[in-house]
Amino acid sequence: MSEPHGKKSLGERFVSWVNGDGETKDRTLFVMECRMPRPPCRREEEHRKLEKRRVKKFLGWYPLAAGLICVALVAILVSVVLAMPLFGHPDNPTNNEVPTYYLEHTEEDTGAVNAVTGMILTYRGFDTLGESCVLFMAVTSVMILLWQDVKNTDEHDLQKLAREEEIKRKNPDVVLQYAAKVLTPFIFLFALYILFYGEESPGGGFSGGTVLGGGLILYSCAFGFGRIHTFFNSRIFNFLRLCGLLLYAGLYGYYTFTGANGLGDPLVSAFGGLSLPIDFAVGMVVASTVYGFYAMFTRGEL
Amino acid sequence: MTVLEYILLAGLLICAITAPFFRRLLVTVIVYSTFSLMMAVLWTLLQSPDLAITEAGVGAGVSGMLFFLALKKINELKGTSDE
Repeated sequence: MSEPHGKKSLGERFVSWVNGDGETKDRTLFVMECRMPRPPCRREEEHRKLEKRRVKKFLGWYPLAAGLICVALVAILVSVVLAMPLFGHPDNPTNNEVPTYYLEHTEEDTGAVNAVTGMILTYRGFDTLGESCVLFMAVTSVMILLWQDVKNTDEHDLQKLAREEEIKRKNPDVVLQYAAKVLTPFIFLFALYILFYGEESPGGGFSGGTVLGGGLILYSCAFGFGRIHTFFNSRIFNFLRLCGLLLYAGLYGYYTFTGANGLGDPLVSAFGGLSLPIDFAVGMVVASTVYGFYAMFTRGEL
Repeated sequence: MTVLEYILLAGLLICAITAPFFRRLLVTVIVYSTFSLMMAVLWTLLQSPDLAITEAGVGAGVSGMLFFLALKKINELKGTSDE
């Protein structure tokens, strides 16, 4: 691109590049739109006959191709499974000293009775941090795509939303509302139990967060978004998911950079092992992700 | 316990095979959620309750929900009160 605006400093040029100024616009679509539609050169009958033949041909080879692709996929997968080591064989590469070490030392190293939680949150906490980041990024990109604010909402969308709200208010689903009224407290309680007892019993951040998000979805399904805004609005949503990730990154970063001493570290042993605070952080991220997906897909706002 | 495991395995196979053959996508999603629910019970029998909770929450609950929302967006939920 030649410089149409004279000389600019590097910073200004970067800013205008980010803003997309000075780019020649892609006019392909515009030109195609302006072009007159092609005059019909064939007669209607002939056209229909051709179309029928084309559809017949397509339907002829389509099941064949689909079947071929399926058979090829199955063959690939089966050959891979056959090439894998036998399930449960004592000489398998997974049967080395690492699982034994984990099972024997998890409790004294991490303070978690549940070996799975101790493993995924302490020994392999970096892995779980990556997963939390993936969830964070996923809900962020869904928000980028589906968030309905002033700029991308027109009258028609607003009317449609208002109409749906009106329908919902006029015909409330009594069964759903009563079921939700009875079930949601127990769901929330169970979610918190899974979340906070993840180091003692089955559960942990991911499962507890999912159940918590499911409870939020049920509540907002039954009572509408107005009711849920009294205790869970977009500011709390953003605060929860950001704080969860930052808490996790901070704690695990501290733990790693001070030498990953397990319970020997003063801060870590003050928490009684890393599992509890990290479970809490992961639970916040997962719950807000699950509920964020639902809210974005139904309404386009939180 | 083994009898229950075999029943669940048969149910999993039936769900997995029949799911693509329903004409209404709504039924397909329900069968898919059923698959996840049976899988959750099977995880418990295989002594991995951590996975069972996650499978029940994500597979049977949240992903089915997201599928329903997607079907609603493309107007496939025919015969419901939305129309």
